[in-house]
Amino acid sequence: MRAWKAVLLINVALVLGVGWGYAFWGLRVGRLERQLAEAKAAAESGIERQWTVDGVVRAILPELGVLVLTHGEIPGFMPAMTMGFRVASPKIQEAVSVGDAVRFTLRGVPPNVAVTTIEKIK
Amino acid sequence: MDGLVERERGDRRAVQVCRDGRGRARDGVVTGRVMDRMHRRLDREDRDEENESGYDESARAPPHEPGGRQQRHERDRPGHVDLIVHAENGKGSDRFRRGRELRGLEDRALDTADVGVGRGRSQQRSGQGDDRQDAQHEPHSSEETCRTQRGLPIRYTDPVYALGLAARWLHLASSVLLVGAVAMIVLAGRSDRATAQRWERRVLASACWLALVALASGVVVVGTQTALFEGRAAAAFDPRAIGQVLVQTQAGHVWLVRAGFLALLAAFLSIRMSVERRADWRAARGEAVLLGVAALVPLAAAGHAAAVEPDTARAIVLDGLHVLGAGIWVGGLLPLALLLRAAASEDGADARPHAVLAARRLSRAALGIVLVLAATGTWLALTHVGNVAGLVGTTYGRLLLAKLALLVLALSLAALNRSVLLARLGGDGPTVGRPAMRRLSGFVAVEAGLALAILVVVVAMNVTPPARHEPPVWPFTIRLSFAALEGRTAEAARALIGSQIVVVGLVALITGLAIRAWRLPLAAVALAALGAGVGLALPPLAIDAYPTTYLRPSVPYQAGAITAGAALYHANCAGCHGARGAGDGPDGRALPRPPADLRAPHTAQHTAGDLFWWISHGIPGSGMPGFGSRLTEDQRWELINFLRALSAGFGARGMGPTIERDRRWLVAPDFAFTVGPTPPRALKDYRGRNVLVVLYALPGSRPRMTQLARREGTLAVLGVEVIAVPIDADPDAIRRLGDDPRVLFPVVTEGAETIVAAYRLFAVAPHVELLIDRQGYVRAITRSSGEAMDFDALVAQVQQLNDEKTAADVAPEEHVH
Repeated sequence: MRAWKAVLLINVALVLGVGWGYAFWGLRVGRLERQLAEAKAAAESGIERQWTVDGVVRAILPELGVLVLTHGEIPGFMPAMTMGFRVASPKIQEAVSVGDAVRFTLRGVPPNVAVTTIEKIK
Repeated sequence: MDGLVERERGDRRAVQVCRDGRGRARDGVVTGRVMDRMHRRLDREDRDEENESGYDESARAPPHEPGGRQQRHERDRPGHVDLIVHAENGKGSDRFRRGRELRGLEDRALDTADVGVGRGRSQQRSGQGDDRQDAQHEPHSSEETCRTQRGLPIRYTDPVYALGLAARWLHLASSVLLVGAVAMIVLAGRSDRATAQRWERRVLASACWLALVALASGVVVVGTQTALFEGRAAAAFDPRAIGQVLVQTQAGHVWLVRAGFLALLAAFLSIRMSVERRADWRAARGEAVLLGVAALVPLAAAGHAAAVEPDTARAIVLDGLHVLGAGIWVGGLLPLALLLRAAASEDGADARPHAVLAARRLSRAALGIVLVLAATGTWLALTHVGNVAGLVGTTYGRLLLAKLALLVLALSLAALNRSVLLARLGGDGPTVGRPAMRRLSGFVAVEAGLALAILVVVVAMNVTPPARHEPPVWPFTIRLSFAALEGRTAEAARALIGSQIVVVGLVALITGLAIRAWRLPLAAVALAALGAGVGLALPPLAIDAYPTTYLRPSVPYQAGAITAGAALYHANCAGCHGARGAGDGPDGRALPRPPADLRAPHTAQHTAGDLFWWISHGIPGSGMPGFGSRLTEDQRWELINFLRALSAGFGARGMGPTIERDRRWLVAPDFAFTVGPTPPRALKDYRGRNVLVVLYALPGSRPRMTQLARREGTLAVLGVEVIAVPIDADPDAIRRLGDDPRVLFPVVTEGAETIVAAYRLFAVAPHVELLIDRQGYVRAITRSSGEAMDFDALVAQVQQLNDEKTAADVAPEEHVH
């Protein structure tokens, strides 16, 4: 066999090998990762979820049924911030006052969540 | 036993700290995904606690006997917590061993301490990170981690290590020679002369052997590397450990790829094929070059370049170019010397034209290659070393200097060969051509030897953490800085005149190079002018310097460190320097020299490292004692942070409620704070937004707080975050502010004392508001008694801040005086 043919063959084999590796391994890994992300997203949307988070009461708006809380991170939903949450029942608002450190339970299908229980800590 | 448990807990903390710092740290050798997987495993194991049977029994094999030796060896060295645990805790701490291995990988691999140290630093710089961890764990945890990571991970005396170094050199040299050999053949071109063909066959055969040597030495490198990762010599023969390194580290991946190409190349070179025809010759030799380059260049992805942040890809590409250029140049020299020698011999006359051609071609190629090497090398040096202090003050920098010195030698030799000997090759015959060729052959061989010596330095640099991540030790007693000219007009004029004379000298030098006839007199003029200019210009620029001058503070500039420093100051320094730092303490009067006024803005001439030296060792003849034995290193840095804040606060007296456009100088010390039971936050987290830090006291501040609470919406739209800090540090501050109007901005319930103590250095009033810009500089300070103020004035200031261009400036932490 002529040397240039052999070299060509080697190079073609190299390219094919890399391509084959990519097709059978790289692509599959990529696909699996995508599927995982999709499955994760699917699992996180449309399903009722529940979190228990610590926070501090900043304001109470009885007329709106809203409690403003400065809270820690809510995993998979939102980072630590100050924001208003709907309460499941007016009783929840009555149980606390501004400045209370609380542990509250948030429940619902994101982004529609409401405070279902609340208790003072410390 | 208790001690062990205690220790385990302590180290676990260290692991956690590492994990927390992961986001900021550079993964380097260990790819991010592997890290994540490891961390996930760690998490799972943390949950399982004792019930760890679920996974990978084999990885938890008890330490072998040689391993024990290795670990004892480790234990003798300070700052090496990581492997001690391994040994002492045996089985119980195996889950930490995972994390430890990870760190081991990072600490010891090629880019090694680079990563580890980088992490220690970045973690500290992040400052807040420390504070947070301090809040959660005991204070020494992060300190311990940093010390562990800063400890020198390289043990030059270990036989395993020495073997690894030798193998590395052999591997690098054979890979480089291999590429150079095949490239040289292509450069020289095809010849039908018997001597040239014999030379080609010989070079190819040795290239084949070189590929095998590279493979074998590579295996040794991987083995010793694994032993170092694992901390036990036996790991070098443990297929599972080696497999782990190969599969889970980037260095391992790179090695696998390169080994594949090396094996392929060796196989290809060992095949006998007919290259009678031109196309065949080109294909066969070209393929050899291709495979050789493919086997050499990926080295760049396993070296320091892979740990460069943020331009990782560019660094790897440039490093790859550097390696390739070096390969062709260095590796091409030996085959060329062989060819020249063969051609210079009695019966090699037929190959002489071919040898001359080859020498000319390599010479021409080398010129381009050296330019590429210089360009990429400069970029890499700037990345890895950064400044003069790093160049002369660290091991890496000094190795680089050694490399440059050898390089200059090699290049001078090359220039000599090129200008003198190469020109004489043209003539044939026993008097001109052949002796010149033989001499050239000798000189080229010497040049190749120098290049191989450079590779020794390169290997040493590969296993040394880059200068940028090492604390530089300044070797001279002076340094040069333009700050020395501040306020000294006579010296400034002298320096200016000197620099002009230097310029004249340079012009004379260049002219002399251009005009051959005047070369000698012009060179003399140039030398004289350069000498005189330098002698005139440099002395005024000299400032006293100390070994620690370029040391960067290991404690970040943050409120906690400043208050700690303040306490140290009052305990140790106030006696002489005065309670307010004015240098008017009662004990200072009897001293030979009056104590320094620490508030004075002369700090531009003194680096933090200078202060560190004076505090550690005192100032001879002045009465200033050294505190090196009384204060820990961190305490001294805390003290320096306090001095920095003190001096800055003295300057901040003049800062009022209106901002000065584009004048950023007062760095806002970072601080950590907590609002209720939520996790701690830091001022630094707000970088990119404007922040209004309000130090308030009820009831005086009530009107202003009401106003701010009502208008918070406006401020939020303008990109201003309000952080309210009660001066009385009341944990019940939120309740006391009440719910009318609603206060929704963060009100500090924990950490207020520290913030108030630090920021009171800048302004003292019943109610203080500090406007901090998006880059973290205090730009305006309002002192009042808490009454409601013109809100539009504040809005106008903020709008002006928002109008400013925020250049991608250095973070304030980088400014150190």
